[in-house]
Amino acid sequence: MSDRSPRVPPLRAIAALVLLVNGLFPAIWILLTSLKSEPELSRTPITYLPEDPTFQNYVTAFSDQPLHLFLFNSFAVATLSTISTLFVSTLAAYALARLNLRFRGVILMAIIGVSTFPLVTLLVPLFEIMRGLGLLNTWAALIIPYTVLSLPVCTLVLAAFFESVPRDLENAAMIDGCTRVGALFRVIVPLSAPGVFTAAILAFVNAWDEFLLALSFNSNPALRTLPVGIQLYQGEFTFPWPVISAALVVGIVPLAILIVLFQERVVSGLMTGGVKG
Amino acid sequence: MAERRAGAPRGVRSRILDPGDTALAAVLLLPAALLLSLVVLYPVGKLVWTSFTDLSLTSGAPAAFVGIRNFRWMLEDATFRQSLWNTILITLVTVPGALVAGLGLAMLANLPFRVKWPVRLSLLIPWALPLSFAGLIFAWFFHSEYGVVNDILRRLGFEGVIWFNSPRWAMVAVCITIIWKTASFVALILLAGLQTIPRSLYEAADVDGAGRWRQFVEITLPLLRPAIAVALIFRTITALQTFDVPFMMTRGGPGSSTTTLAMYIHQNTVSFLDLGYGSALAVVLFLISMLFTALYLRMIRARG
Repeated sequence: MSDRSPRVPPLRAIAALVLLVNGLFPAIWILLTSLKSEPELSRTPITYLPEDPTFQNYVTAFSDQPLHLFLFNSFAVATLSTISTLFVSTLAAYALARLNLRFRGVILMAIIGVSTFPLVTLLVPLFEIMRGLGLLNTWAALIIPYTVLSLPVCTLVLAAFFESVPRDLENAAMIDGCTRVGALFRVIVPLSAPGVFTAAILAFVNAWDEFLLALSFNSNPALRTLPVGIQLYQGEFTFPWPVISAALVVGIVPLAILIVLFQERVVSGLMTGGVKG
Repeated sequence: MAERRAGAPRGVRSRILDPGDTALAAVLLLPAALLLSLVVLYPVGKLVWTSFTDLSLTSGAPAAFVGIRNFRWMLEDATFRQSLWNTILITLVTVPGALVAGLGLAMLANLPFRVKWPVRLSLLIPWALPLSFAGLIFAWFFHSEYGVVNDILRRLGFEGVIWFNSPRWAMVAVCITIIWKTASFVALILLAGLQTIPRSLYEAADVDGAGRWRQFVEITLPLLRPAIAVALIFRTITALQTFDVPFMMTRGGPGSSTTTLAMYIHQNTVSFLDLGYGSALAVVLFLISMLFTALYLRMIRARG
């Protein structure tokens, strides 16, 4: 053992380097690109660090396209669909975790089956349904499918947390005059706060990242979410990379903050019911 | 008897306050059931029906039942064949690719680091990054003149590749991007599996004089099998739906050399407004995807 230990720290250092470069290089590279001027970018050999860092690209990103609206729409759609997912999946998770269901197994299988559902294939019927309901070009056209998108994983995560709340606490609340539903919201949900939080982050990230439905259901530029809006910077023959990079950084920062603050919660959530690829 | 009578009023009272389990469960599951009916069940029925019609938003005519015409068209549609093949190719390349890369990342992340958060962060950022963003960022990486990939190739003495002009290299770039983006998710799943393997097994193997490679093959891999299976199936199902990355990087080009089935569905529906044919294509993807979902459900049930 003693002859091996001096070799361990360098191995760990190399491992850390590989992990960090793999995970962070793309984001760092896009940050560096966003700080370069157009002339500096169109030069070979390329520069790695910006010679003369500029924030002009960020100004252009907000003035060329309504980036603030894209951000606002993404926040609104992600937040509202997170809230609606949490509400629906809290009720379903309680039923699965605590009640004597006759078809518990079938319901569980149905939920897991939906979690792998290819939403792409429902593009046509969903488009028609949203048109029929007059919801095209509204946030609701996205919030409704996003709620379903995150429903399975949130239900599984919440059910796992609800199961770990001691039944005695629930019973005590009911003796004090709570109904079962009252006990769910006053006792079980607060005690499962970490789980609710984990589910919320997963739902938020799912909604923030979704592209295909956002691209197809909202043709009004003022209602675009970030992933859809970001491709509007491309002209027919132009590809303003520094400006696109700046817009990408603006779209990555909120996610990065979320991940940095709540990384442990996210990891535990993914391990309970990881769905996204 | 006395006990039962004494219990009766309480039972009645609690039934008024708390409906029985089944009734309560029905109420609690109702919102989820309604949503799933609106967004999944009803659309699936509508999808299958539309796939047998000539519904098109360009003609304005009402949809007519055309039997299996749309499916027969597929057989003669070269773009369909190409997009189906591209989807299969992307699945065959990126699923094992992400598995190998993810296993590597998980093994590295499982080393006993003193500070854990940078490692966690480096796996979570690629996971959280939208696929569409990853597509754009890597399109910039692979830019023929100013991209960092070609710059590194040139520094190493190779010639730069014009990635997006050649069908083969465009596909390579798309696959590399998907592997990078999804390897972190696989790593997170496998890391959870690695952490359940008791350290004592390795210690015992050390005592028996088994080398690192034998420990990997005879302890790590077998005990990781359930986690690998979960990662494989999830990855396969998402790979079959590939849309964002090639859409952002290549728009399916050059020609239709990187067009996936999902992109072709989107094109027929949103650009050509040929909902009948688009639906028939979607039915094919749906059936392929269901095959793997069934496999997954069987696996879960087998494990209890």
